[in-house]
Amino acid sequence: MNERIQRKLFHYLKKKKIENFVGVPDSTLKHFIDECLKNNNIIITTREEEAVGIATGMTLSKSNSLVFMQNAGFANSISTITSLVELYEIPLIFLIGWRGYLPDDAPEHLKIGKIQPELLKIIGLKSQILTEKNWKVKCDWALKQIKEKKPCALVIRRMFHD
Amino acid sequence: MIRKEAVKIIANHIGKNHIISANGFMSRDLFEVNDKESNFYMIGSMGLASSIGLGIALKNPKKKIFVFDGDGNILMNLGSLVTIGSLKPKNLVHIVFDNNSHESTGGQPTSSSQINLAKIAKAVNYNVFVVQTKTKLISILKNIKKLQGPIFLLVRISTSKERSKRVSWDPKTIRDRVMKSL
Repeated sequence: MNERIQRKLFHYLKKKKIENFVGVPDSTLKHFIDECLKNNNIIITTREEEAVGIATGMTLSKSNSLVFMQNAGFANSISTITSLVELYEIPLIFLIGWRGYLPDDAPEHLKIGKIQPELLKIIGLKSQILTEKNWKVKCDWALKQIKEKKPCALVIRRMFHD
Repeated sequence: MIRKEAVKIIANHIGKNHIISANGFMSRDLFEVNDKESNFYMIGSMGLASSIGLGIALKNPKKKIFVFDGDGNILMNLGSLVTIGSLKPKNLVHIVFDNNSHESTGGQPTSSSQINLAKIAKAVNYNVFVVQTKTKLISILKNIKKLQGPIFLLVRISTSKERSKRVSWDPKTIRDRVMKSL
């Protein structure tokens, strides 16, 4: 997803009353994260589970929250998502950068990257893939999910090499 | 002093303030001795009570937020101390009940007896207190009311065979009660 849309994504979600952006940086999402930093609206945590915990506390305080992470960190957080977010039905939006989407991505990303959609499906976390064309519609979908007290995930594919 | 006694003393002392309690026997003890709407019993997600407490504390600066943690729990999420210490929430009181063991899973040892948790907390900007007796605990509780956080209170406790019942509230009810009280 290009820089312009990633920056717009932050402001769109912010305008729609997402108040907190908490997570661990990921290069696929770097422009989005940079926009959070520029607007001084970010907490960068030491691990992804920690971000899920903080965002849960904020959501319990009736302040909508988004947790950003790479899919490697999503894999780290699975037990936290099932035993906290899904168990208590905490309406969070996960924004996940999908490494290993391209079959020639770096080797450490290939195994989890290949099963990323299945992982989401198996734990029952509803998700949509964000693109430069559909991002607003998919954000609206996510906002509707949390309004109905359901957590959900938006996924951005890593389409480039560096 | 065993955990249940310490939990009872502290919970009675802090009244209606919010408590986020760690999974396992920690939440069970709190549920048995002082159940109330503003308790968030974290029944899974080991390690995250302090992170949930941080999120609540940041969004409710006028309320004092207490975390009831265990040594096994905080050792699993030491990074949380770093994040709390860098954000410095004035209204967060982080209490660690330290029995040097994973009591909920059969009493296996943790490494808390080999290192200095209080020193770690001090290094990351907490205001730190360590207590071992009931009398000291009561006097510290009076003191910390006036102090600014983040406060780290290490309560040394002994292990015990006493078992509290499981939290009987459904997780969604726990969520709704806490949300209503915030």
